[in-house]
Amino acid sequence: MKCFSRYLPYIFRPPNTILSSSCHTEADIISTVEFNHTGELLATGDKGGRVVIFQREQESKNQIHRRGEYNVYSTFQSHEPEFDYLKSLEIEEKINKIRWLPQQNAAYFLLSTNDKTVKLWKVSERDKRPEGYNLKDEEGRLRDPSTITTLRVPVLRPMDLMVEATPRRVFANAHTYHINSISVNSDYETYMSADDLRINLWNFEITNQSFNIVDIKPANMEELTEVITAAEFHPHHCNTFVYSSSKGTIRLCDMRASALCDRHTKFFEEPEDPSNRSFFSEIISSISDVKFSHSGRYIMTRDYLTVKVWDLNMENRPIETYQVHDYLRSKLCSLYENDCIFDKFECVWNGSDSVIMTGSYNNFFRMFDRNTKRDVTLEASRENSKPRAILKPRKVCVGGKRRKDEISVDSLDFSKKILHTAWHPSENIIAVAATNNLYIFQDKVN
Amino acid sequence: MEFKLEAHRIVSISLGKIYNSRVQRGGIKLHKNLLVSLVLRSARQVYLSDPCPGLYLASPAGSPVAPPQQPREPAARPPAGWEEPPSPAARATWQETEPQPERPATPGERRTDGAEPAASVTGTGDALRGGEAEAAEAAWRRVEGPREAEAGEPGGPAGDSDVFPEGPRAARRHCCCAPGREDKPGTPTGSPRVDCCCMSRPAEDEPPAPPPVCPRKRGATGVGGGTAGCPAPGSTPQKKPRRNLEEQPGGGEEEEEMETGNVANLISIFGSSFSGLLRKKSPGGGREEEEGEESRPEAAEPGQICCDKPVLRDMNPWSTAIVAF
Repeated sequence: MKCFSRYLPYIFRPPNTILSSSCHTEADIISTVEFNHTGELLATGDKGGRVVIFQREQESKNQIHRRGEYNVYSTFQSHEPEFDYLKSLEIEEKINKIRWLPQQNAAYFLLSTNDKTVKLWKVSERDKRPEGYNLKDEEGRLRDPSTITTLRVPVLRPMDLMVEATPRRVFANAHTYHINSISVNSDYETYMSADDLRINLWNFEITNQSFNIVDIKPANMEELTEVITAAEFHPHHCNTFVYSSSKGTIRLCDMRASALCDRHTKFFEEPEDPSNRSFFSEIISSISDVKFSHSGRYIMTRDYLTVKVWDLNMENRPIETYQVHDYLRSKLCSLYENDCIFDKFECVWNGSDSVIMTGSYNNFFRMFDRNTKRDVTLEASRENSKPRAILKPRKVCVGGKRRKDEISVDSLDFSKKILHTAWHPSENIIAVAATNNLYIFQDKVN
Repeated sequence: MEFKLEAHRIVSISLGKIYNSRVQRGGIKLHKNLLVSLVLRSARQVYLSDPCPGLYLASPAGSPVAPPQQPREPAARPPAGWEEPPSPAARATWQETEPQPERPATPGERRTDGAEPAASVTGTGDALRGGEAEAAEAAWRRVEGPREAEAGEPGGPAGDSDVFPEGPRAARRHCCCAPGREDKPGTPTGSPRVDCCCMSRPAEDEPPAPPPVCPRKRGATGVGGGTAGCPAPGSTPQKKPRRNLEEQPGGGEEEEEMETGNVANLISIFGSSFSGLLRKKSPGGGREEEEGEESRPEAAEPGQICCDKPVLRDMNPWSTAIVAF
């Protein structure tokens, strides 16, 4: 298992916050983290509707120790709070998900979504500006035409790099319920957005209509038993996607089969262990995240206590199950009381699909090596983070004698939760969002 | 016994969550409320199936005594009342007179008159005599019955597919049709009406008349008993089928209507897998009425409200604690 160290004590703080990280506003809480396809850019969304994009510094022979540092590249307000007057509902501006489009020209494109509206943003650089207009002076003021005696051709001159983000498309009014996922199709022409009961397929060019491809809303809402919790397209097959449900099931659908994919092609479900039955069995079996492996062969799901890896060819049970924090099983009632049991943890694959990572409480996050079956618990905290320091594995003591470096279950801070993490597509660089702080860790390089 | 207490506690927590979800920013979260409703249902099943009689379930043979003191205390001190099992008398009264709040509240029909409710609520005696579990179940039924009686919000959000309209409609249907039993199918007729008759509308004097709330149960006389159609306080519940007796009081008794509607509404969640949760009552920017409904129990002293509402006196501390939310 590789050791992760901190190349630099990079702790992100939102630009407009002058408070220390221990005292932050709710709007600064990071709600999504995503690397782009090359890993050059890292986007974060927060509860205040802002998107902050980091760019990796180019390697420089002169400053080897600064290789790979991520700096703020662009910040923009993606979504604003809205009010639905018809339903008397406030629509939160919190960014639920960001998904990058593959780069096709000099500009970068990403999708960001809140509960109701998906937006396509173009992030582009401007490092030249035209000078020498005839009708305007350098400040842009119009010149009196009578004073113009000569004509000149405007020229482009270099300027300080400016990164601007512009909304290119707004996909609105297609979701009655809260959007929980977006996923870009491998054809790069379409994407899907999923809410609690429906999944819609969009074309990037068309904003005023979308195809509904999954609809699990029952005729009688009182017969509702499950909702959609996450959805994702297959990384290579543009006709295939999966969606997970609150009942702990995953359905794989093929869009070639029919226009409405209510009937799944594959159905993944593990029988419940009756010995673990409790009041909260349904809650902890609800899947909070589903991710295809980069190979497209496996899917990984996260429920409250475990991460499971499924082989697409075997529907009746997962091939691997990892316990994230099983010591919480006896504390479900308390976690229900303080609402922690509803936390939606995400999970990620590394570039080679050999390691999976997910978050936990007390700013802990866990990594599982699928090959060696070893796992490690690490902590994202200021105190443990000195430059060049190697992250020390942490351990939770579940009972009995507590060793020196262990932390007991009752000492865990449940307000410090790591819900969102991201892994660089090809290197061992991870981004971990701890409330309002973003930690970026890199593998130790010799 | 421990299971029952645990279930009791979980139920109270769940109801609190549902209540709070209505004021959360961003609207009611369907997923979370679904999960909470599943927990509620599990806890309720445990609670009802636990054979242990418990201190608070014993009841003398249906004497509709209105215990003035005991319920008031819990109301005044919700936490204490919450933990204290109601006295047998209180329990009996609650079981018997639970429908009372939902009846069109006319001054003459106040719960203080204990005998009348017993007489007018047909089948109540049977329920009481039928044994504890049955009584409990009957109590649940009665509690859920009123759902239909509550006037629905007239200005419900448009759109069938919206979660809010669905919920109230579902709640309404469920309450009418499936008294506490999930296996009973819901109303076959999909009333397009968005409003939930099961929801109380505190600010409305005249509950609007929606299409038949639960056509299955209502029948020809249904409309009158229908929520919205909740007649003016002059109605004579005695003439109506039992379910209609539990109707939300019409005009006039706004506070009481809202009060019990609120409580009964929350309690109705027990009987449904999901309905009752997806109410039109949106949190942020909610209508005044909604806020009125929610805030009024809170704004006034719980004890104060109970003073004015003999209804609450007869409810067990469980219900009063819900009011205190």
